[in-house]
Amino acid sequence: MPKPSRPSIDSVTTIRDDGSRFFLHPADVRGFFSKHRRWTGLLLIAIYLSLPWIDIGDHPAVFLDVGGRRFHLFGLTLAFQDAWLLFFAITGLGFALFFVTSLLGRLWCGWACPQTVFLEHVYRPIERFIEGDAVQRRRLDASSWTKEKILKRTAKQIAFVTVSAVISHLFLAYYVSLAELWNMMHTAPKEHGGAFLFVFVFTGVNYFNFAWFREQLCIVICPYGRLQSALTDDNTVVIGYDERRGEPRGHVTDPEAGACIDCNRCVQVCPTGIDIRHGLQLECIGCSACIDACDEIMTKVKRRTGLIRYDSLNGLEGGKTQWIRPRTIMYSILLVVGMAVAGWSISTVRPANMGVTRMTGAPYIVSDEAVRNQYLVRIVNKRESVQSFSLEVIGAPAAFTLTGFTGTVKVGPLGEEVFPLVMQVPRSEYTGKFPLELVLHAGAEGFELRREIEFIGPDPKLLREDSP
Amino acid sequence: MSDAERHTPPVEGSVRQHVYDGIEEYNKRLPNWWLFTLYITIAFSIAYWFYYAQSGLPEKDGPRVEAEIARIEAERMKTSFELTDANLWAMSQQALIIEEGKTSFNSLCAACHLPSLKGKTENPAAIGPDLTDEEWVHGAEPMALYGVVAKGVLLKGMPAWGPVLGAEKSAAVVAYILSYHEAP
Repeated sequence: MPKPSRPSIDSVTTIRDDGSRFFLHPADVRGFFSKHRRWTGLLLIAIYLSLPWIDIGDHPAVFLDVGGRRFHLFGLTLAFQDAWLLFFAITGLGFALFFVTSLLGRLWCGWACPQTVFLEHVYRPIERFIEGDAVQRRRLDASSWTKEKILKRTAKQIAFVTVSAVISHLFLAYYVSLAELWNMMHTAPKEHGGAFLFVFVFTGVNYFNFAWFREQLCIVICPYGRLQSALTDDNTVVIGYDERRGEPRGHVTDPEAGACIDCNRCVQVCPTGIDIRHGLQLECIGCSACIDACDEIMTKVKRRTGLIRYDSLNGLEGGKTQWIRPRTIMYSILLVVGMAVAGWSISTVRPANMGVTRMTGAPYIVSDEAVRNQYLVRIVNKRESVQSFSLEVIGAPAAFTLTGFTGTVKVGPLGEEVFPLVMQVPRSEYTGKFPLELVLHAGAEGFELRREIEFIGPDPKLLREDSP
Repeated sequence: MSDAERHTPPVEGSVRQHVYDGIEEYNKRLPNWWLFTLYITIAFSIAYWFYYAQSGLPEKDGPRVEAEIARIEAERMKTSFELTDANLWAMSQQALIIEEGKTSFNSLCAACHLPSLKGKTENPAAIGPDLTDEEWVHGAEPMALYGVVAKGVLLKGMPAWGPVLGAEKSAAVVAYILSYHEAP
């Protein structure tokens, strides 16, 4: 399987003309960015692997308990009634992404995206260990099925499947907790058929993705890559080749040539198979391998590094990068407003929820003595301990009476209770509808939940005419 | 190398006919995995359509949803016993059921009928009638009481507690009320 002689800007290197896949084996690279990228990747993997083990309060730090309808996030417990916060979580992530992308382009892709992190810091090192460096791997690809190839490939696939299974099982732990995952792993699959099927399929997806699909996801599937042209401009810092310095390319001894000696190291190390000297391209995931590759060569030939570097398109043409511009100002404003609103909305989350609804039936009842409104107060206790509550009604007129939710009530741990709220105003005193504020006081905690309701009734004039 | 120099001039026949805003498109083959996935989804959609719309094998959505709702209602209204006058009288003699009914009563019913069940007799300003006397506005039999508890009385403002309590707890409340009366 010959490699195309050079990457072309008019085609995708990993997709051949006949539609078959050209499987890429990027060369190994060392350098400043590679080192920091490796450490960043390992840190992110460590966080992913260790979080299920860390408890905050009574729960794992990140426990998205879908079965129990409670999300536990670093000590904050969110009940199903708080699901509206998801809106802010998602739009907040969106705005943050737009903001970062307008400044720094595809920084996320090469440094933090799970696709790159797992591929470059887990799967490719395993492949490297078993099958050798890029040259040896290409030779193995091209060779027939010798005993050595069978052994190496089998070992590699077993390692890949094992790693994929570990990743998938820990993924499930975030949703059922580690203790429950351990429990599931020790009982028959049919007792938790859904979870078993999910992990089975997810392991397969991970294996297929990291063993074969790889950069195709970044190039074809991922929408973030395609959004770049909408989110970035000539002042966004990306990875680029300094044409003014590098061209015309020539032999290292040629005094007329530019800095680039056409060694093609930048092409050999690229995990998506492009030539960065063609300029900013769709396939480039900003992994900075080409920066390290070129810097290494430049140092060897005693030239200034930075021929390929992080810079904006303006900067690469000799201009200045304009950091503050309408695009970044607009995204900053959106981000700050979004964060402020998200922060405020999260600050309204309390260890309990209160829902107040009118009882089913008539909205108001007129008896011989009074006009009556009937409500149901549902209290959700998000704590693992019993909480006691009392209700205060503000804004009631003088002759107003309340029965039902008087005094203090208790709600069990993670429990929900319903209490009636029956309010009456004597017929002679009723002069029309009026607002009320309900204040739920939580005994031990000191927090309160407020709700505005309305006491409604018939037209007071008609009520008087209709006296019993 | 300028943008124009970077691109190799297109070979005859390699560019598609349409031009949009000066942008031309190469006639390249899609990756095989993409095409393979497309063919599979086409085949799947035909099989799916055939199975769900033509074969008559799976249950139709309407009846399936109705059956599910009916199942949930039945689950909620399920009782481990049969709802009859005699059974309700029998339950009104059992301490555990009376306790259960008393808990529900005190949290939901006492607001109007008072914790003593005496309602208007004890306090004329109370909303609910006396449940300990022999006057019954909506029927005196245990099953009539159960009907009032479960379905309410719209005109009088008696809420329907069936959806909130479910059948078993509603029956327990009725048993609790009946425990204040003598069984026949």
